[in-house]
Amino acid sequence: MKIKAVYTIFLFVALLILYVLSAAFTNFLKTEESVTAKLVTKETVFKAGNEIQLTFELNAQVFTELLLHYSYGTVLISSDLLDKPKFSIPEFIVNKKGMVSYTLFYESKNIYQSQFFIEANTTTPVQLESYIGPPSIIAGGNDYTMHVVVPTDTYDNPLPDSTAVILKHQFLDIVNERQVSSKDMLGWEQIFSYEESGQLLLSSQVKETYSKEHAIKVFPAFPEDFTISYMRKHRYADGNQVINFKTSIVNDQYGNSISDGTMVNFIVKNSSGKLLHTQGTIINGSAVAKMLHPDHEDTWEVKAYVYGMGESDKLSLSFAKVLEDFDVNFGKGNREIIVGPLKSFMGQLIPDGAMVKLDIYRGNKKIETKSESSSRGMVRFLLEEGFFGAGNYSFKIGSMGVHKEYDNIVIQ
Amino acid sequence: MDKTTNKYLISALLIGVIFHGITIFFTLESTYDALIHLFFGNHYADSWFDPWDYSWYTGFTVMGYPPLVHQSIALLSYVGGLKFGMFTVAIIAIILFITGVYRFALVLTSNRQVAGYAALFGVFSSAFAETLHIFGQLPSIIGLSVLMHALPEIYLWLKIGKYKYLLNSLSLLAVTVTSHHVTPIFGMVFFIFPLIGTVLMDVSREKAGSYKEIRFLLFLKTFLSLFRRIVVFGIGSLLLIIICILPYWINTKNNPITQVPIPHGSRDNFLEVTSSGLVFFLIPWGILLFVMPYIWYRFFSKRYLFFGLSITLLTILGTGGTTPFPRMMLGESAFNILTLDRFTLWGSMMALPMFGEFAYRFVEGDLKQKIREKYGGIVHKILGGLLMTGVVFMTFFTMNLGYFRPSQPQKIKMLPILNFLSQDQHDKWRFLPLGFGDQMAWLSAQTKAMTVDGNYHSARRLPELTTRAVERLENSKYRGIEGIGSLQQFLTVPEKYNLKYVFSNDKFYDPILYFCGWQRLRQLENGIMVWEKLNVPPVSTILPKEEVATFQKLMWGLIPIGTVLIAFIINIQLIWIHGLKSRNKTFPVYFKFGIAYNRFNGTVVKSLSIWSVFLIISIGYGSYLFYIKNEKQLSPVNVAKAYYDALDFKEFVRAHSYLDPYSDKTLDQYMLEVSVTDGLLSSYSKLDQIKVHVVAQTDSTAKTQVFTRWITALEAIDKVFYHELVRRNNKWFLKPRAYDLDIPPDQLLAENTTKFYNHGRRRITSEQTYHEDVLKQPVLEVLSAKIIENNNQYMIIGEVQNIDNVPADVVITGTLYDRESKELAKYNVKHQMKHKLIPKEITSFRIDFEGIAWVNHEERKPETFDPDQFTAIDFKETPNTFNLQCAGNVATVDLYKGVVINDLTIQNQQIHGVLFNSGLQEVTIPMLLVSYYNENEELIWVDHQYISEGIRQQRKQYFTHNLMDLSEVCEIDKDMSAVFVNGLSNTVISQKVVPNRISDHRLVPLIPVQGKGFAYVKLEINTYIGAPN
Repeated sequence: MKIKAVYTIFLFVALLILYVLSAAFTNFLKTEESVTAKLVTKETVFKAGNEIQLTFELNAQVFTELLLHYSYGTVLISSDLLDKPKFSIPEFIVNKKGMVSYTLFYESKNIYQSQFFIEANTTTPVQLESYIGPPSIIAGGNDYTMHVVVPTDTYDNPLPDSTAVILKHQFLDIVNERQVSSKDMLGWEQIFSYEESGQLLLSSQVKETYSKEHAIKVFPAFPEDFTISYMRKHRYADGNQVINFKTSIVNDQYGNSISDGTMVNFIVKNSSGKLLHTQGTIINGSAVAKMLHPDHEDTWEVKAYVYGMGESDKLSLSFAKVLEDFDVNFGKGNREIIVGPLKSFMGQLIPDGAMVKLDIYRGNKKIETKSESSSRGMVRFLLEEGFFGAGNYSFKIGSMGVHKEYDNIVIQ
Repeated sequence: MDKTTNKYLISALLIGVIFHGITIFFTLESTYDALIHLFFGNHYADSWFDPWDYSWYTGFTVMGYPPLVHQSIALLSYVGGLKFGMFTVAIIAIILFITGVYRFALVLTSNRQVAGYAALFGVFSSAFAETLHIFGQLPSIIGLSVLMHALPEIYLWLKIGKYKYLLNSLSLLAVTVTSHHVTPIFGMVFFIFPLIGTVLMDVSREKAGSYKEIRFLLFLKTFLSLFRRIVVFGIGSLLLIIICILPYWINTKNNPITQVPIPHGSRDNFLEVTSSGLVFFLIPWGILLFVMPYIWYRFFSKRYLFFGLSITLLTILGTGGTTPFPRMMLGESAFNILTLDRFTLWGSMMALPMFGEFAYRFVEGDLKQKIREKYGGIVHKILGGLLMTGVVFMTFFTMNLGYFRPSQPQKIKMLPILNFLSQDQHDKWRFLPLGFGDQMAWLSAQTKAMTVDGNYHSARRLPELTTRAVERLENSKYRGIEGIGSLQQFLTVPEKYNLKYVFSNDKFYDPILYFCGWQRLRQLENGIMVWEKLNVPPVSTILPKEEVATFQKLMWGLIPIGTVLIAFIINIQLIWIHGLKSRNKTFPVYFKFGIAYNRFNGTVVKSLSIWSVFLIISIGYGSYLFYIKNEKQLSPVNVAKAYYDALDFKEFVRAHSYLDPYSDKTLDQYMLEVSVTDGLLSSYSKLDQIKVHVVAQTDSTAKTQVFTRWITALEAIDKVFYHELVRRNNKWFLKPRAYDLDIPPDQLLAENTTKFYNHGRRRITSEQTYHEDVLKQPVLEVLSAKIIENNNQYMIIGEVQNIDNVPADVVITGTLYDRESKELAKYNVKHQMKHKLIPKEITSFRIDFEGIAWVNHEERKPETFDPDQFTAIDFKETPNTFNLQCAGNVATVDLYKGVVINDLTIQNQQIHGVLFNSGLQEVTIPMLLVSYYNENEELIWVDHQYISEGIRQQRKQYFTHNLMDLSEVCEIDKDMSAVFVNGLSNTVISQKVVPNRISDHRLVPLIPVQGKGFAYVKLEINTYIGAPN
């Protein structure tokens, strides 16, 4: 029994070796045959979207495959019928414009190679892709925006060069139309701004297809010089009322009034040469800036600027003194100083909040400044014991441009 | 053996689960840690095997924390959601804890009744209540409880040597390791070593006959005889600690914690910082403090000697910075990394068995007898009442601490934020929550949007964070310069982190957001203000990540739950059945070593009473000191402090109660005056320091100077107030101060303003950019720009104008290069500019190149809190050239221009001026931007000043600005060829857009000044409006 088993195994191994050898030789022999192919299909140029079939004629009935290489990639397809080398090109290739090269393979061997072309299908309705930019430009004819139109067929293939593209735009009463021929897929135009500001609408047309509407903002150009005026409730320096400065309508060189929100700076030079500063933003062409009346007699020179671009004329105005003099009373061992009543131009009490400043000196040395605002025309200063020891003091009291000095006041 | 059910344990379990189980629903979510564990749980629920989490810190690994508790939450979350998972795990922790205490007490005292008492008091242990209800440290509780479960098994292994017990103990230890890494390591030292000692004592006693006769030699012999078992157990547990969380150790080695330690209250001196003493010492010890002598007496008996040493160490280590010993014992670095409160927790846990024993002896044992014999039954009852009152009081106090002193902001409704983040692709950018407390973890758990911040500080990676002791950016106001400094870096250069949205739950941060160029988007319906920054690119779709080996991922994902399964299978009968009703025919061996409770030591009674009296006196004295210091109207100093404290917390009615009742300031009048004051100081500041100096004092009057230091997000403000005080009926009162009397001219005013609106996308589409709706970037022109040097610091300064017709939000980034054109530093303009420019408006700007503070550890940190402090970059090479990138984006908000300079005087290098608000908005924080020019009218410096009071409509505000000494400033480079606006060359823009610029206009606003190093200044104003209307 044992021997029998050994023979069986031996036989089995021998058969296996025989099979392997014969299989190898068969393959080797097969490659000796050669297969050739001939293209039957005559057309080499197709319209996008139309069906494309490539038929070949082979000298042997074998299984072949077709490798397609097109602008989006490479794909391998097999023939429609197993025995006939007839290939339908897939839809996703058929719809795209461009060159398609192909290779017919029989068992990894290239047996035919060529290419065909697909062109845009002008018989389908035109589609438009249109772009504009920038979406805002400046009036005056130097700045421009660009309108680009890409006419395509239904399959999104750009139409051939020299397709007529009509570019239109509207601005105020002008409606303009211009025809250009597309080149390198697109038709385009630069639209320069007009002298007026406003809104530019653009559209385009190719054959019977109209584009959507695009809008471009045309902003005014830079401001020119302008004038300013002021408005105030009275001419007194009461430190309480508000004065308004107003510009004339600020225009650019083409007469457009400047964009809303534009900053206008008002520089005020007072009689001591200091520069005060207010600002306004333009609404409907003019800007308003506000300031508080000074609290002392003063003369202001006002000039407004849009920095770097335009400026106003110079305006001069003066504020009259509101206060001629005031009383000062000392009490409680000279520790209490009562200033007032502070009277305004008609003799009325000055509105609450007028500032009174008290400079306290001891032996020519300023030791403190106290400021208090008035209430019902009066101001009261208190020199607390903890902070001001008994002794000899001098005081300078100032309010609304009036200054008074009191020397050698003894505080207990 | 007694087969009856242990009624004490059953009661303890019932009471514990009901009491803690119900209260966690009100406490756990506002604890410090629970939501962090929830966030980790969410991570595992989303990606069990991937340890990398992108949500926090620009990505971090969760291998920095043992995962068992988190994974359990994750598993349970599949059943009922994340919160269900968290609460279930918490309830499991409660059960494990109570049974753990029982088993630990049983092995120590060998008495089931005593162990039952210990379990019962364990339920009301203030340390446990604090850890669970205030800190929310679930892994720590579970780790400790399971460790206590392991102790009897370890005892039995050492004593008997059956491998069954070794297996039991190691399986439980494995669970401990995977739930909390610190517990087994220190538990080894503090729990297991003393237990080994106790076993040795017990074995020695068996040999010697009684504990008294044990001598060192015998002990050593016993030790040698049990050496093999000890070593086997030791190696086994060491292997478990290493293998069960191997990825954790690998991660720790690869990413060592190099960050600056974060201050923790448990390291404070408890006598100085009494609040830390309360939270980290008094509360955890609680009622145990009164029975300390008994606990120590018992632990220092021979059997428990090693436990005595252990609890001594734990007590000392738990005192934090109060004594120098913890620092000496742990060493500087361990002292600064570990939180020391855990030692107190362990100490109080270790004391529980002895406390149970004390209670048992007091309630039904020999102590009761003794007291009754000596003092009578009434005294015993009174003492019992006092003890119970103490326990109840401590539990009440601990559980409700969070109610009296909220550690977290009010609960925030997250849904509006989640909706906001998922709308319109807002989650494509990172966000930053401010003032959320630990609820930020809950927010992160629910959204896929990422934040630059995070809530697990050991995992921080950005040097901006790791070099500073900032726990989170979110609560940076509590961390002073380090906090606000870090935050400012993130807000100034948000592009670097793709940070576009800030959710602000604390208006404290609003000023810094505004002045760093952020704008308010809208207030969500939960009251959270959303701020956004323009010109920030979205997060890229592919983000860097640190990959770890697959075996680590598998270990991390499988071992922890595996240990639980194994332990459950091995120990199931032990935890449940053995714990409640013993199935064993015999007592466990440790039952032999219990002591008989028949003769309570008289000395201990005496020392207990002396100690209690001493404690009561100390507490009384402490309370008295507290009263003296805090009784509001006891002294002029107290009332002045109380007044500013009330102002700080906006409790104006209380503040008014400190004002002289005989003055004519009624509450109505006072509230009215308060309601009209606004500004940096009164609305956005936090009182940091207050010192009251009494200038003069009589019996009934006093004058004080109050020196205050207020912290705002922008800068620290020092302000001195003068107060007069009067004393009426033994109470001191402040005399009210005068208020602004100014009357504005108009009652009703009208003004025309221009407003802007940007639709965003006009078509409702999710396309990223719908090209028709992309607005043109406003054109800017840089009028001048240069590098300057001042005191070895390099800056870029310049002026920029919006030359377009729409308002622009301006972001300016400057880069410095050395001679070889190597990049040295890159930064944005922070607050030295007006970020929003209306058409034709000009702003000066200055870029400071800020480095990362204290990268060098030797640099001494400032002690005090100063948000304004600045760390300049340390340049290795001298900057030589620069590049400036300006980006304009259409802005529609924050365009108020109503503040004017109404008066100016310049003397003694000071500008005194008057600002007037001419418009219709109340200006909350005005900022002056002061540009300095040299005699050639060239810009040489830009400075800023915040004015601490706001300006109401038609009102004035006075300011004083100190001019600088600029004689040291020098110009390095003013070549503007590398200046770009929206990516285009500035030179080309200058030539094309405004070719006919009137250059003389530059000089118009310059005010001539006789200055040091400069000849002119220019003033510009930027305004923050807190509540636009």
